[in-house]
Amino acid sequence: MGCISPQQTFEPVDLEALHPVKDNKLNAVEPSYKTIPANQLRRMSKSVRMSIGAMSPFITGLKFDGVIIGTANAGMEESGKFLDQLVEYDEDTLSPGNFVLSTSNAIAAQISLMFGNTGYNNTHVAKGHAFENAILDAAMLLAENPGSVFILGGVDEIASNNYLLDKQSGWFKSGIADDHDFYEANSPGTIPGEGATLFTVSNLPAGALAQVKAVQMINTDSREELAESVQQFIDRMPAKPNLLLSGENGNSDTLPYIDVVERIMGADVAIARFKHMSGEYPTASAFALWMAVKLLSGEAELPSHAIKSGTVNAADLNDIVIYNLHKGVQHSLIWVSKV
Amino acid sequence: MGRIVVTGIGMITAIGNSVEENRASLKAGRSGISTIKQFATRYANMPSGEVSTSTAALQEQLKVDSPGVTRTSLLALHAMQEAIADAGLTAAELANTETALVGATTVGGICLTDELYRDTHGQSKGTEYLGSYDYASVSLFLQSHYSIKGIVNTINTACSSSANAIIYGARLIKNGFAKRAIVGGADALAKFTLNGFNALRILSDEPCRPFDENRKGLNLGEGAGFLVLEREEDVQDKHVYCALSGYGNASDAYHPSSLSSDGEGPYKAMQQALETAGLNPADIDFINTHGTATENNDEAESRAMIRIFGNPPAFASTKTYTGHTLGAANAVETIYGILSLKHQEVYPSLNFEAPIPQLGLKPVENYHKASVRHVMSSSFGFGGNCATVIVSKI
Repeated sequence: MGCISPQQTFEPVDLEALHPVKDNKLNAVEPSYKTIPANQLRRMSKSVRMSIGAMSPFITGLKFDGVIIGTANAGMEESGKFLDQLVEYDEDTLSPGNFVLSTSNAIAAQISLMFGNTGYNNTHVAKGHAFENAILDAAMLLAENPGSVFILGGVDEIASNNYLLDKQSGWFKSGIADDHDFYEANSPGTIPGEGATLFTVSNLPAGALAQVKAVQMINTDSREELAESVQQFIDRMPAKPNLLLSGENGNSDTLPYIDVVERIMGADVAIARFKHMSGEYPTASAFALWMAVKLLSGEAELPSHAIKSGTVNAADLNDIVIYNLHKGVQHSLIWVSKV
Repeated sequence: MGRIVVTGIGMITAIGNSVEENRASLKAGRSGISTIKQFATRYANMPSGEVSTSTAALQEQLKVDSPGVTRTSLLALHAMQEAIADAGLTAAELANTETALVGATTVGGICLTDELYRDTHGQSKGTEYLGSYDYASVSLFLQSHYSIKGIVNTINTACSSSANAIIYGARLIKNGFAKRAIVGGADALAKFTLNGFNALRILSDEPCRPFDENRKGLNLGEGAGFLVLEREEDVQDKHVYCALSGYGNASDAYHPSSLSSDGEGPYKAMQQALETAGLNPADIDFINTHGTATENNDEAESRAMIRIFGNPPAFASTKTYTGHTLGAANAVETIYGILSLKHQEVYPSLNFEAPIPQLGLKPVENYHKASVRHVMSSSFGFGGNCATVIVSKI
């Protein structure tokens, strides 16, 4: 797996060093992409570039049977550029480059093109459930094709148009004094982020870093319905998880949903948060999954700035439940465990 | 696990606001391709398959008075309403966690091209559509409208989107994540796509001529199509149209906006669909092709068909009636395949005169009754995404 995000999540990975919010955004920190030829790099959209870059930890000798990507905004920057041309030139002789790159499936297409892969290819765009549907798609593919390997990814970028639309709709904070305020400001709105997180997935435990045991998507604005679904999810687990990795994002309006989930988990489950690292974006749960896998595989330790409550003993860490929430109506639970 | 069957269908296109209206137009060889009347554009004279109902009229008919509902969402609601009524789904069944909704769109709310520009260039205080431009907004609108509690998804793989939506819904049922799935897609005509396809020089200034040696490009269209998929064992006395017997998905992996000349991606998708259906090529009685009438697609698709079938069965492109409805294409065209199964008839491809030299394939040119047991419906999109669905008579 690989991750390009607002933090130091590419080699050498350092989760403890926290890159702060700047201009009320968490922009991705990108590597120098030495392995991608400059002329190819130039023609890639940011989403595609980050996705290929996120593959670099596992790209050597990579063999795979298909690609499944979850994204809400990929291609939106190109879409915006084409839109600008269209309006500013009054529909007169436009160049098609941006239009072709503006399709959501450009990432999955580019990956299959680069590797000459003619296998399964799909792109899910269900916003806050785009990555979750991608996980489910991959899980079904593995059940249908045992022994296969698929690339699974969650990618989104802070495209200017999308940023402006969300800002006008009131989803973002207009200012936080310092990073202590990310969760403590007690104000509505969150901070946008971006990232590309790619995994290879199979149904073979040998050599695996972690196992995704269950994914649950919940569509509701009702706390009661959320509570019922979360309780049912937990009841199906043999034991409570060691850690709740929470998608709390500093938005005071959606804090009641976080409270519901924390209450059901109970005081004996440690809680950590990730959105001060990733920022808020529709496929941020991919970042959370990457982080959970890093912890369960022993490749990284939970940084102190991520802990909300309780203590996490790395040696005892067996099961993590990720709870994510996007714009108050799309909730998800992902159960990840040690192999 | 038994078969997955289709219990309801619904649609709206340039040739009709219901399944029955569409069928009547297909039988009569009556195309819906004309000039664009619903919005102002430099390209209003480009032949397109526009739905004749205005956005305001759709809103009124569907009794939607909440703000920010795009034309794409209204078309989707119209088609979905027909499909779920056809399948006799109750409000309780819709609001059940075992009912999934899988939609598809390539434009979403970007059909409101001018509003999007204004909203992102500080030229307005923010129109009512601020939250509706994204692709997921259509499915989320439908989910909210019907209080759907199961898995809700939207797929965007350009022109093959609704094929992948149908396939995903079927697999959700097969793998036990849903008992029934409402699947399909919607797209509205938009200045955005009109200009995009025109910039690629694949838009024709005449009604399109799929598989013809003088074809010069596609006509765009708009519309929506939805199907209700259920497990055969759950159906009881309900009317069943057919089985969704096979499906395939593959990547052409050749170029971002054109297919390999021998149609490798289309070939693999069709091959996989036959395999999952347990059928031989000779079992297919009719193919609803992608048939956009671009120089590239029709050649690649023809070669792929010849590779699989040797001598391909009867085939047509119904895009000659509806235009290329993008995210709705495969849903609309698979429904036409289902009508072929139900009424034992095949619909002609319009505007055909002479076959592509060296390939020599001729589509069906006249409506006629026929023995139809299995219909294949294919869609191939930008990025080389290829998907094929097979529906079979039970």
